[in-house]
Amino acid sequence: MENKPFFQSKRTISPNVSRTRRFTISIKAWPYLFLSPFLLFYLAFNIFPIIYSFYISFTSWDGFSEKTFVGFNNYIRVFTQDPSFWKSVWNTLLIMLMSTPFVIIFGLLLAVFLFNITKWRSFFQTINFIPYITTPVAIGLIFAFLFDWSSGTVNHLLMSTGLIKEGINWLGEPMYARIVVALMIIWKYTGYHMAIYLTGLSTIPQELYEAAKMDGSSAVNTFFKITIPLLAPITMFLVLTDIIGGLQMFDEPKLLFTDTAVGGPERSVLTAIWHFYDTTFATSRFGYGAAVSFSLFLIIIIFTLISYKFLNKKESYK
Amino acid sequence: MKKVITALGLVVVSFISIMPFYVLIMMSTQVTEDIFKGKMFLPGKYAIENLTTVLNSSFFKSFLNSIFVSVTSTILCVLICTMTGYSLAKYNYKFKKLFYAFIIGTMMVPTQIGLIGYIMEMRFFQLNNTLIPLILIWIANPFGVFWMVQYIKSAVPQDIIESARIDGCNELRIFIQIILPIVKPAMVTLSLVIFLWSWNNYLLPLVMINKEELFTIPLSIQSLGSYYRTDYGARMMGLLIAIIPLIILFIFGSKNFIRGLTAGAVKE
Repeated sequence: MENKPFFQSKRTISPNVSRTRRFTISIKAWPYLFLSPFLLFYLAFNIFPIIYSFYISFTSWDGFSEKTFVGFNNYIRVFTQDPSFWKSVWNTLLIMLMSTPFVIIFGLLLAVFLFNITKWRSFFQTINFIPYITTPVAIGLIFAFLFDWSSGTVNHLLMSTGLIKEGINWLGEPMYARIVVALMIIWKYTGYHMAIYLTGLSTIPQELYEAAKMDGSSAVNTFFKITIPLLAPITMFLVLTDIIGGLQMFDEPKLLFTDTAVGGPERSVLTAIWHFYDTTFATSRFGYGAAVSFSLFLIIIIFTLISYKFLNKKESYK
Repeated sequence: MKKVITALGLVVVSFISIMPFYVLIMMSTQVTEDIFKGKMFLPGKYAIENLTTVLNSSFFKSFLNSIFVSVTSTILCVLICTMTGYSLAKYNYKFKKLFYAFIIGTMMVPTQIGLIGYIMEMRFFQLNNTLIPLILIWIANPFGVFWMVQYIKSAVPQDIIESARIDGCNELRIFIQIILPIVKPAMVTLSLVIFLWSWNNYLLPLVMINKEELFTIPLSIQSLGSYYRTDYGARMMGLLIAIIPLIILFIFGSKNFIRGLTAGAVKE
């Protein structure tokens, strides 16, 4: 880099004003000036907290008294002596397993349907996207009401149509509770998947479809032979983000069971982040909580890598 | 025949998507006893009563808090991310690529990782139990930078900047008078997304704010449960008010919203 000062003072003498001093800033300084506010906030409030949390994870600390350095003890405890941690990861995976395939399939089908119509397309797109933008906390409460055992809408509907005789205790049984959380996820994310698939569909050249039609390929055949393979990178992106986002699930299950004990019935919907929240803030174990969060981060990375490998392999077979 | 199936499928799915909102709206106009009798599909006559109950509680205050937090976060974030995006997209300097790659990398990092450190930092600056921590967290947003860089790269021709320079325009004026008008659509989209995210943010206020007068909407919704344990009508009205700003913003800017929230999925 040139050794030119960023700030140069330039004296100009104008006829009217006796003497004004103007500072002009060298062009080389501008990109740094534009960048500096971000850099400041980024380092101070994004990067520093992560490093500091990492440091805290090697200590035993209640947030107020002196920290004691404990080395890897917290991590050893998370991985070997904390059944709740593994249970929470398991719960999260189970709920993801019950929801991710459905959001992918529903999202894709919805997108294909919508792509083939021109009228009403943006109307339907908007309607189905609304769940995704709604405050998760509110969704939790609404669903808690819809699936309430005695006064819930769902039991009312099921009973009035004669499908069931007695109301199902949706929020009281571990497996039902997980189903309700999975339904909530499906309900919320289908529109998001639809929107992403729609953008993907618009990148597929129309000639391909026309050629398939000329060759006498049926709509179903075209869907499986052209649409799905060409959307594979998008499906991969969606599955990856579903895994990364899914492992951070917290708001919805937490608010679904706002009145009951931690984690819902038998802690069946205690998600990983909920466990992190509970250990850190309910019992003020900051050191241990930090270790839980970094362990979870490690698990997210591992799952992301595994699914990335797996999906990539599957794709190369084609 | 095929068209009928398509239409039917769309209507059914869309019905499921908005059904909870319909029930919510209906229940917010009813008195609790009617809700328990199963009249949740028809409008009632208690909308005004429920509204008064909600407005008289601390819920309204938290609505204002949320507006303040979200609007301030949005303005600061969009301004700073636009400047940063411009710097990264249109200038060349040392470590630029590395820095950008680093920011993109941190997009993947779950925000909860830094939560404990952030709380301690805020305590150190004595900002706990103020609304400021809820704003600071949004200002340097990696997604915002990613979004602005992508847009500025594709929408701002280098020639415009060069010719403005030749005309003697200084860099700040180029940014304000030439770049900002061009990138306005991207700023609108980013504003909507950041507003949405900060409005819905739950975990941070949950661990940061204890004083009721500083509650934001998600915290308030949570406590709605305990306040009106028996008054379901008012509770539903509260929920409705909490999500109305988002729905209105979304309906007016749905294209922008969807574009922003699905960014990154499809490489252009």
